[in-house]
Amino acid sequence: MESIEVLVAHIQGLSRSPDEVSHLHSLLKQSEDALRSHAARLAPFLSQLDPSIHTLGYLFLLEAYSSGSISGEEASGFLLTVVEFINSCSAEQIQLAPEKFISVCKSFKDQVMQLGVPMQGIAPLWMAVRKLQTSTEQLTTLHSDYLLLCLLAKCYKAGLSILDDDIFEVDHPRDHFLYCYYGGMINIGLKRFEKALACLHNVVTAPMTTLNAICVEAYKKYILVSLILNGQVPSFPKYTSSAAHRNLKNYTQPYVDLANFYASGKFSELEACIQTNQEKFLSDSNLGLVKQVLSSLYKRNIQRLTQTYLTLSLQDIANVAQLNNPKEAEMHVLQMIQDGEIFATINQKDGMVSFHEDPEQYKSCGMTEHIDFSIQRLMALSKKLSSLDDNLSCDPQYLSKVGKERQKFDFDEFDSVSHKFM
Amino acid sequence: MEELSVHSREEKNVEEIARRFVPYGGRKKSPLGFYLAMDLSPIQKDLASKCYSAVADTCDDLMLKLASRGIRYQDEWPFAIHLLGHVFANDLNSARFLWKSIPLEIKESRPEIVAVWKIGQCLWTRDYAGVYDAIRGFDWSAEITAMVVAFSENYTKKMFQMLNSAYSTISVTDVAHFLGMSEDRAIDYALQHGWKLDSSCKMVIVKKPKTVTERKLDPSKLQRLTEYVFHLEH
Repeated sequence: MESIEVLVAHIQGLSRSPDEVSHLHSLLKQSEDALRSHAARLAPFLSQLDPSIHTLGYLFLLEAYSSGSISGEEASGFLLTVVEFINSCSAEQIQLAPEKFISVCKSFKDQVMQLGVPMQGIAPLWMAVRKLQTSTEQLTTLHSDYLLLCLLAKCYKAGLSILDDDIFEVDHPRDHFLYCYYGGMINIGLKRFEKALACLHNVVTAPMTTLNAICVEAYKKYILVSLILNGQVPSFPKYTSSAAHRNLKNYTQPYVDLANFYASGKFSELEACIQTNQEKFLSDSNLGLVKQVLSSLYKRNIQRLTQTYLTLSLQDIANVAQLNNPKEAEMHVLQMIQDGEIFATINQKDGMVSFHEDPEQYKSCGMTEHIDFSIQRLMALSKKLSSLDDNLSCDPQYLSKVGKERQKFDFDEFDSVSHKFM
Repeated sequence: MEELSVHSREEKNVEEIARRFVPYGGRKKSPLGFYLAMDLSPIQKDLASKCYSAVADTCDDLMLKLASRGIRYQDEWPFAIHLLGHVFANDLNSARFLWKSIPLEIKESRPEIVAVWKIGQCLWTRDYAGVYDAIRGFDWSAEITAMVVAFSENYTKKMFQMLNSAYSTISVTDVAHFLGMSEDRAIDYALQHGWKLDSSCKMVIVKKPKTVTERKLDPSKLQRLTEYVFHLEH
C-alpha cells in the first residue's frame, strides 16, 4: 500500500509539463503489477486526484481498479466515477495510453449493460470517442460500443452524430465489421434505407479470408433492405472476397428464397414463403423487416405501372396491385406521391390517375448547389485515393511481392523495382 | 418555472455510494450538485421563443446528460413536450421509440402524454383526419397549448400542399376531410388559394401555384468550374 501512496504523490507532483508527464508515464508502466494486485483498495486514492490535471495517473489507477471484480453496490459509484473522468479528462494525456482508456470504457460499457441502463452510457461514450480519436476520420474500437448502447437504449438518433462522419482510417478489421453492422441497424431503425444499404454493403464486401458471423447476419439484412429499397438484390461486386462469394448464400437460404418469390411479384406466394420461414425470421430478429418487405410489394407493383401507362383508372390499379377497392388504391397512390416515390396526379372526378415524368429539371440554384457539393466530395475522395496509392507503392511488403513476380519476366524489360526487393 | 427537486429513497442510496468518490477539491464543487434538482431551462427557453422545431433535439441532449449522471429523471421529465417535439419535426421514428421507452406507470398517470401520442399514431398510420380529432379531443395544459396550436396550423398547411401536388380534381367532402374543416370552410379556404369550384358535382379543381425557382448564376460558379476542369486534367 505504501508504494501506492508514493505513486499517488508522484502523480500529483509530475503532471505539469509534457516532459514530467512522460517521466510519470514510465513510472506508471513499471508499477502496473503493483496496481493490479491492490485493485480492490484503490478507490480512496482516486479521490485524492483531479481527473482533469492528473489524467494519466487517474487513468492507470482507474484501469487497474476496473480490471478487478466490482461488486453490486460499488457498481453505480463506479459508473459515476467513470462518467466524471471521461467528461473532465485531458485528451492529450489520454493519447499516451489509449489501450488503457479503451479498457476502462469497455468495463464501463459492460457494467452499464449488466445493470440494464444502456442510456446512462450514451453521452459519456460519445465524449470518450471524441477524445480518443485523433481525427474524425479515424475509426476507434469505441465506435461500435457506442452504437451498441444506442441500439439497446433505442436512442437511434443519438447514433447519427457518429455515423455521419466519413471514416478513412481503420485500425482493427473487427471494429469495422461491428461498426458497419450496427450502423446499418441504426439506419434501418430510422428508415434511412439507402445509408443502411451502404453500411451493410461495406460489411459484406470487406476483405476477409474466412466468413464470420457478423457478415452472415449483415447479408441477411442486406437482402431485406435491398428488396425494400430497390425491389431486387444486386449480385456481388468484383471486389467481394471469395470466402463471402462462395459461402454467404449457403447460410442465408430462407432469405434468398424470399428474394426469388419477391421477384415474381405475387403477393400470395410471398406470404406463403414468409409463413414457412417465420420461425427462422423471428429467431434472427428480422421479422419486422420481413413484414416491411411484404408491404413494399404493393408499392413495387404500382411503380411498375408507371413505366407502361400514362393514365390508368383507380379500379385497374386496385386490380393489378391486388388491393380491395379503388379507394384503397387511391390512398396507396396518395401515400406514394407524398413520399416522393412516384409522380402522379389523381383525378377524382373521372377516377383516373395520370403518371408524370420527374419534374426536376436540374436547373435550379438549389440543385446546382447540391451537385457542386457532391463534386467537391468526390474530388476530396479522389485526392485521398491517389495519396493512398502513392503510399502503397512505397510499402516494402508490396514491393517485395511485386519484385518476386518480376522474376518471371525478361530481364530486358523496364525494371521498375530495385533488385534489393527481389 | 421553478426548479424541480427530486427526492426519493433510491437517490439517497446513490448519493451515499457516490460520496465515496468525491473528487479532488470536493468540498468546493459537487459534480453531482444538480442531481438533486433537474434544470429544464433549455427546454423552457425553446418554448418561450417558439423554436418548436428545436425542442426535440434540446430534450434528447438534456435527457442523455441526466441519464449519464444516473439520475432517475422519468418522474419529472416533460414527456408530453418531448413527444410533441418529435411529432413537430415529423420524426415519427424517434417519437415511436420514445413512446416505447416511457414506463407504464407514467403513461397511466399522465393522460396528456397519451393524448400527444394519439396525434403521433394518427400521423404514423396516415389517418389524416384522425390527427385533427386527436388535437381537438383533449384539454391541453397551459405550457403545451401554444405548441399544439402551432403544430395544428403547420399540419393544415402541409395537408393543403399535399392536395395541391397530388390531385387535379377532388371532391369537397374529401377536402373537408383532409383539412379538418366543415365543408363550407373548406370551400372558402380552397377558393382563397385560387382553386375553382364545380358545384354541379361538388368537386374542386386544383390550381397549382406557380413555383419560382431561382436560376441566377454568380461568378463564384465560374471559379468552381475552373477547379473541376483542373482536377479532371490532372
